[in-house]
Amino acid sequence: MIELKAVSKTYRLKGMKKRIFNRLTFTFPHDRNVAIVGPNGAGKSTLMRLISGAEQPDEGRIIRHGKISWPLAFSGGFNGSMTGLENIRFVARIYGADTDAVIEYVKEFSELGASLATPIKTYSSGMKARLAFGMSMAIDFDCYLIDEITAVGDGVFKRKSKAVFREKLPRARIIMVSHAMAQIREYCDCGLLVSRQGIWYFDNIEDLIAAYQEMMRAEKKHKVRAALDAASY
Amino acid sequence: MPAVLALQFRVLAALVLRETRATFGSSQIGYLWAIITPAASTVLLVIIFTAIGRHAPFGASLALFFATGILTLEFFNRLSRTLMTAFDANRALLSYPPIKETDVLFARAILVAFTYILIMGIFFSGLVALGLAGLPAHPLELMEAIGTTFLLGFGMGATNAVIFSMWESWRQVEKIATRPLFIVSAIFYVPSYLPPQVIDWLKWNPVLHTVEWMRNGYYANYDSRVLDKFYVLSVAVCLIFIGLQGERLTRRRRSGG
Repeated sequence: MIELKAVSKTYRLKGMKKRIFNRLTFTFPHDRNVAIVGPNGAGKSTLMRLISGAEQPDEGRIIRHGKISWPLAFSGGFNGSMTGLENIRFVARIYGADTDAVIEYVKEFSELGASLATPIKTYSSGMKARLAFGMSMAIDFDCYLIDEITAVGDGVFKRKSKAVFREKLPRARIIMVSHAMAQIREYCDCGLLVSRQGIWYFDNIEDLIAAYQEMMRAEKKHKVRAALDAASY
Repeated sequence: MPAVLALQFRVLAALVLRETRATFGSSQIGYLWAIITPAASTVLLVIIFTAIGRHAPFGASLALFFATGILTLEFFNRLSRTLMTAFDANRALLSYPPIKETDVLFARAILVAFTYILIMGIFFSGLVALGLAGLPAHPLELMEAIGTTFLLGFGMGATNAVIFSMWESWRQVEKIATRPLFIVSAIFYVPSYLPPQVIDWLKWNPVLHTVEWMRNGYYANYDSRVLDKFYVLSVAVCLIFIGLQGERLTRRRRSGG
């Protein structure tokens, strides 16, 4: 479904060059849900942005098959001066979905009512997120990209969102970045551990979680020792 | 491959509609203005030159002569300027996996081309209806001229877009550098009648060739002695190459790498 071929990515941070991926080759299994875990700053979100195409690799190629969503609930792609309806139409068109059906669905789901006919710049961030989430549910994607599940709206809306999302699962794959192991267990079958030392693929989700927790413990110990060393001087 | 083509077509169509909405607003008046403005500036020129008692430098109609010149130049200028800001204005759209950076460039170019072909169609039809011009003598050559202007404008615009995304002051520099185009692009004179020393300099300007090409297409016997089709097409192809290749080479820098 998504293939990374010899992908390299370097960041320049405060004048320091930091190579995050070095000729990474990986094919996401087309029949399994993949978790991406790892400590902060190791490149999880960068990997997600590379997959969605928001960022380009320095070297290598990323090949995408099928309909791939934008990161779930991400609303940065909206045009502020266009109305909600116009934004919905645009997204429906690029994915080749039936425009009217998508509008009907989002109207019903997002509960935005008459606000859909006003420009997006008048929306609160919660309204935008509801619109973005509703849109990603209205279109049948082959693969959903999720960079941390952030709950949107009040309790009722949260429950509704979760229920709708679960309905999608039998027909769609997920690639998910998360720090919450409960979510990882709930949605994913296998995963990537992205760390500064390297990237590992785990075929079994429990092995992935165990390795991640081991790594975080080691890192914490390392941090404590470093702090003690610093304190003793 | 058909699936890829279908996707490309869908994305471009969606972007063109979005750009139309963003450029002209939701009212039909917005699009009307886009057509009125270039038409009005041509009409104004015609009135001024008629008032100071000038005859058409070629043919019977002053209006037709200016229209062939100024609409071609405006088409080129509009492409070149609209494409310049294409990358910056639509960064956020890249979060949608089907959209690539060059799509925005193509979508804007298509919109400008549609607009100007419409403007030219309406303006020339108007002149014919008012009896100020005849029908084009060589329609095919007229279409070639419009096509070449499109390629030249697209190449210039893509190149501008790459430079602008690296260096923002380019917008001001370009504005100053292209101002003389109004004078050196044969808008209000026939370059073939100028002294050879002047022609030798003017013919470096590719826009002048597109204007000459237009007139060769519209008039039955314009017979430009300056027009070099190979030259203007070469410049267009080179600019397109520089623009697209530059986009590829600088893509990483723009995407925050």
